[in-house]
Amino acid sequence: MLDTTRYEARQRVRGTLALAILLGLFALLIISIFPTIAESSADIDAFIESLPESFREGFGAETYTTIEGFVAAELYQFVWVLLLGLYMAYTGGGLLADDIESGRLYLVLAAPVARKRIAFEKFLSLGLPIVVLNLSMPLFVFGGSLAVDYPLDPYYLLVVHVLSIPYLVLCGAIGLALSVVLDRGDAAQRGAIAVVFLLFLLDSVTLGTDVEWLGAISPTRYLDPTEILLHETIELVDPLLLFVVAVVLVLVSLVHFQHRDL
Amino acid sequence: MAAIEVQGLTKAYGDTLANDGLEFSIERGEIFGYLGPNGAGKSTTIRQLMGFQAPTEGTARIFGHDVRNDRELRQAKARIGFLPGEPAFTPSVTGAEFLDYQAALKGDARRDELLELFTPPLDRQIREYSTGNKQMLGIVQAFMHDPDLLIMDEPTSGLDPLKQEAFHRFLRDERDRGKTIFFSSHILGEVRRVCDRVGIIRDGRLVTVEHVDDLLARGGKEVRVHTADPLTEANFDVDGVVGFESEGRQAQFTFTGDYNDLFLALADHRLVDVEIDEPPIEEVFMHFYGGDE
Repeated sequence: MLDTTRYEARQRVRGTLALAILLGLFALLIISIFPTIAESSADIDAFIESLPESFREGFGAETYTTIEGFVAAELYQFVWVLLLGLYMAYTGGGLLADDIESGRLYLVLAAPVARKRIAFEKFLSLGLPIVVLNLSMPLFVFGGSLAVDYPLDPYYLLVVHVLSIPYLVLCGAIGLALSVVLDRGDAAQRGAIAVVFLLFLLDSVTLGTDVEWLGAISPTRYLDPTEILLHETIELVDPLLLFVVAVVLVLVSLVHFQHRDL
Repeated sequence: MAAIEVQGLTKAYGDTLANDGLEFSIERGEIFGYLGPNGAGKSTTIRQLMGFQAPTEGTARIFGHDVRNDRELRQAKARIGFLPGEPAFTPSVTGAEFLDYQAALKGDARRDELLELFTPPLDRQIREYSTGNKQMLGIVQAFMHDPDLLIMDEPTSGLDPLKQEAFHRFLRDERDRGKTIFFSSHILGEVRRVCDRVGIIRDGRLVTVEHVDDLLARGGKEVRVHTADPLTEANFDVDGVVGFESEGRQAQFTFTGDYNDLFLALADHRLVDVEIDEPPIEEVFMHFYGGDE
């Protein structure tokens, strides 16, 4: 059971730990500059207000004078939604296409195991970075906020992380989909990054315009850390929707992979 | 029931027919060599047998299981050991980790015994492996669950001559234990040494399936002689000389006749040097299967 997931996850351990530490340190760095901003006499919020709406919304920048608004915009909108989303898409893109291209998959598929099972178990190995990062990051962020004496509400911090999981799974699923369709590993990985990034752009540039509905196809529209952290509103329909789309995308990818020539 | 029955197997890539209506069967307990030049369609057949690619037309059965049906093929795969051509591995894992993973997927009853014969450096990451070590690791994983049927694509490529010989001996022992072995090769000598029967494929078509002894009798030997005086086709009239060519005092031809007649005829000339060799496989095709297309 889950032998492939275990084998694949073991190869992700080092990268995941490195990423957890790197993102954690980045979080501490960002949080450490918050007191200077909070206590500065310059009217930063007025400056944010003067930015174009797509920019403000794209990075969830609403207010920098509360720790919630600051962390949501600087850390979660940017690092979590955009960068980690891209990372999951990239990693998802590397799940199969690279193994197909190099011929490594032949040795695995020669075993009496169904193709779609191998593919699904490989996809499950993305759970390692998702789980580890969602456990380590709130510790760093909460610890940092305590250290600078502007403590965040740990409940809403955890909610941000829990509700970002469907989004990250969906980014991985976008990578998986490209990984079963394309024959070249690097094409699938770069393609997945491009897709997630373009969707993010589409979401931000259409906000407040007549074609705002266009951005509705972007997963980033359904995850809003600022809403959760700053306004303390928890919306469950959107994450559920992301999760359902991810499941459908994974299923379609598995079916395609089961029937394609290798 | 045959171990493998190939029935009208056809694979088209666009307009190219990589396999064109292949029809042959492999009996249990034999070593069957699948011989053909590079690009003839050998790997395409093997990929279809393993279910990696779906036939355009026709099918194959392994132990009676249709390769087009994933569920059926999975039952057959429990009894198959597979070695792809130029096996590729995840570079960051060690040989031992790879074998542990394979063992979890299909079992490893014979791992230790095999590792006495084939000796990849298991503790090292596969990225440090030479081609020969990768090949040995591939061989160990192919046999370690003690399968009844082995399907291998160019299994000796990359092995040094001593390991090749050890592998050939190992294959014959396995055959004697009742295993069925199907492997592709483009080296006639290898097929000659270990196979019971051979199927020859060229341009996607099966040219012939025959016993190795018969093939060799027809394939002949390539002879090169260096004589003191120029040798011409006219003054060298022996049965079984095919494709005589000469350049100065060097002559070469394929010989399919009786060696005694050859040496009698050569005795009439003063020899400086003689070489008698396996013909390259392409020559066998050219002389016996309809020339160069």
